[in-house]
Amino acid sequence: MGIIIKNIYKSFAKQAVLDNLSLTVKKGEFHVILGPSGEGKSTLLGVMAGLIQPDQGDVYIQQQRVNKLAPEKRKIGFVFQNHALFPHLTVYENTAYGLRARGVNGKKIKKIVAHYLELVKLQELHDRYPFQLSGGQKQRTAIARALAFEPDALLMDEPLSHLDVLEHERIRDELKRIQTATQVTICYVTHDHSEAAALADKISILHNGRIEQVEQPEDIFYHPKTSFVAEFVGANNIFTANLIDVNEGISRFRLNSSESIAKLEIEAKTYPVFTRNTEQKLCLHPEKIAISHTPNGKNSFLARIIDIIPQGAVFKVTGEISGLKLRAVVPKTSFKINSHTEKIWFTFPPDALHPLCGRSCRAAIPQRVCKNINFE
Amino acid sequence: MIKKQFTFFDIFLTLLAGIFFTFILLVFLMLFTAVSAGQLLHQLSSPLVFASIRISLQTSLIVVCLTFIFGFPVAYLLSLKTFKGKEFLDSLIDLPIVLPPLVSGLALLILFGGDGIIGKILGHWDIRIIFSQKGIICAQLFVSAPFFIKTVKESISAIPEEVIAASATLGASSFYTFRCLILPLSKNGILAGLAMTWTRAMGEFGATSMVAGCIPGQTETMTIGIYMNAMSGNLEAAVAVGIILIGFSFISLFILKIKFSRSYGYHY
Repeated sequence: MGIIIKNIYKSFAKQAVLDNLSLTVKKGEFHVILGPSGEGKSTLLGVMAGLIQPDQGDVYIQQQRVNKLAPEKRKIGFVFQNHALFPHLTVYENTAYGLRARGVNGKKIKKIVAHYLELVKLQELHDRYPFQLSGGQKQRTAIARALAFEPDALLMDEPLSHLDVLEHERIRDELKRIQTATQVTICYVTHDHSEAAALADKISILHNGRIEQVEQPEDIFYHPKTSFVAEFVGANNIFTANLIDVNEGISRFRLNSSESIAKLEIEAKTYPVFTRNTEQKLCLHPEKIAISHTPNGKNSFLARIIDIIPQGAVFKVTGEISGLKLRAVVPKTSFKINSHTEKIWFTFPPDALHPLCGRSCRAAIPQRVCKNINFE
Repeated sequence: MIKKQFTFFDIFLTLLAGIFFTFILLVFLMLFTAVSAGQLLHQLSSPLVFASIRISLQTSLIVVCLTFIFGFPVAYLLSLKTFKGKEFLDSLIDLPIVLPPLVSGLALLILFGGDGIIGKILGHWDIRIIFSQKGIICAQLFVSAPFFIKTVKESISAIPEEVIAASATLGASSFYTFRCLILPLSKNGILAGLAMTWTRAMGEFGATSMVAGCIPGQTETMTIGIYMNAMSGNLEAAVAVGIILIGFSFISLFILKIKFSRSYGYHY
């Protein structure tokens, strides 16, 4: 077992930052904690590393309760957002620092440092000082330094946020390669969901000091369980609807949107949580909407185009259907669209919709899990 | 490259700065022109002048050592630790910098005098602080150590928290972090602080004269010597010692400026 966090509370100036937070990071897992800025992600890493003392709760590393253990005794590597390299030491000396501090003998240090500098491809720059390195090289040094003493887990606090786009992508890919090669348990904090999607085996969404959802990236992005997660990961077509009919596994809903002029009806795959005459929140991922010039089966609506934003290989299309805004992400190659296009059909299959958990984020439950939702 | 042009405002500022610079320069020039080289050498060979230089160097170097031994822990704790009453202690440490040295001397006189708390205790072992070189050291330490503490405290505080935290997460004990990280990273601050302390101790007059008096050849430091010689009309001797003192201070400040003003800057 890697790291277990149990019912952690931490407040600063009477403001709760971590609020009854529980989390499990399995051994060898690349676990990403994703959340907006100021939600307590860095505080959580600080608690794991022993740099911040929680007000309540327990931290277990490799099944050992480490609450009272000082950071230097926890065997946890930490990569900081600002690298936190030692400016008076070379790349080699920075990497060897943890080994020297632990009293490893000189010959062994040389061998280990050479191995990790090779892993991060910095062997040529071993005698450079931090001020002589680029942002990416600094971050690779920080990674080598944190890995060199072979920690039980590696904590990373937004390590790529200070890098330019090219360096960001390069280091991100290298990080994934290094984790695969070393099989080290990584707990990685970021606010960037594309970064999380590229790196994570598992993602935890942190919101208001608690974990909102823990799942594999695919499930987080395409099956968010709460409105917050849905909006945060970009699955931002969220409807409030009333179930009016269920027939052969398909449920018919009438939308309750205040924006909508006409009472639109949509069909969705039936989930056990659906009950007649109760309000239900439904989520539709923009990537699951297809656009066409003609209607295309069930859930086809003619939309007036409000906005088209080209973004890489896709278009982000915002359309309006009787006052209701729908956002679609479609590949540029799949459809010809231009500034003169005024109306277009938005279509999505019934299984593209899934229910969101109705519980509020501050509901008094031990951990927010929506057990009765079946995504099969 | 943008060519920097002198504006009217710049010229005005340069004029004001020039007046002040000339004033400083004139003061030193007058001192240097007050005696000839021959007179200077003659005065320096005088046993009393030589003794005052020796006493000043001796006491100020002991003060520098004591400042490092006792001042560094103070600076370390004030910059890295959080505890109740920290602000009070911090202000207390800075107080001798702004306090008139005569007041400091008076307080030390009361503390170490025959009826003072420490004076009485030390009296049992026949240790006398007042009117002795020990008194000079106490006075100089009290007045000049805060300069070291302040400089080192700023230097340690400039080390980013993450850098110290990184050391801890790498398995370094507090002592290892101190030895391999804090000490080398605050090296320039320490050296600058020591140089300032030494210069201040060498130039200390008010508190020293109150505590140690001015016994020629025993407690007469360079500054006291200058005062005594000037008051008794021996201007040549006063100027000679003054020039030596300026020489020491200038060299120490100059080395400080060119060698230790560079900081790491913590490039990220």
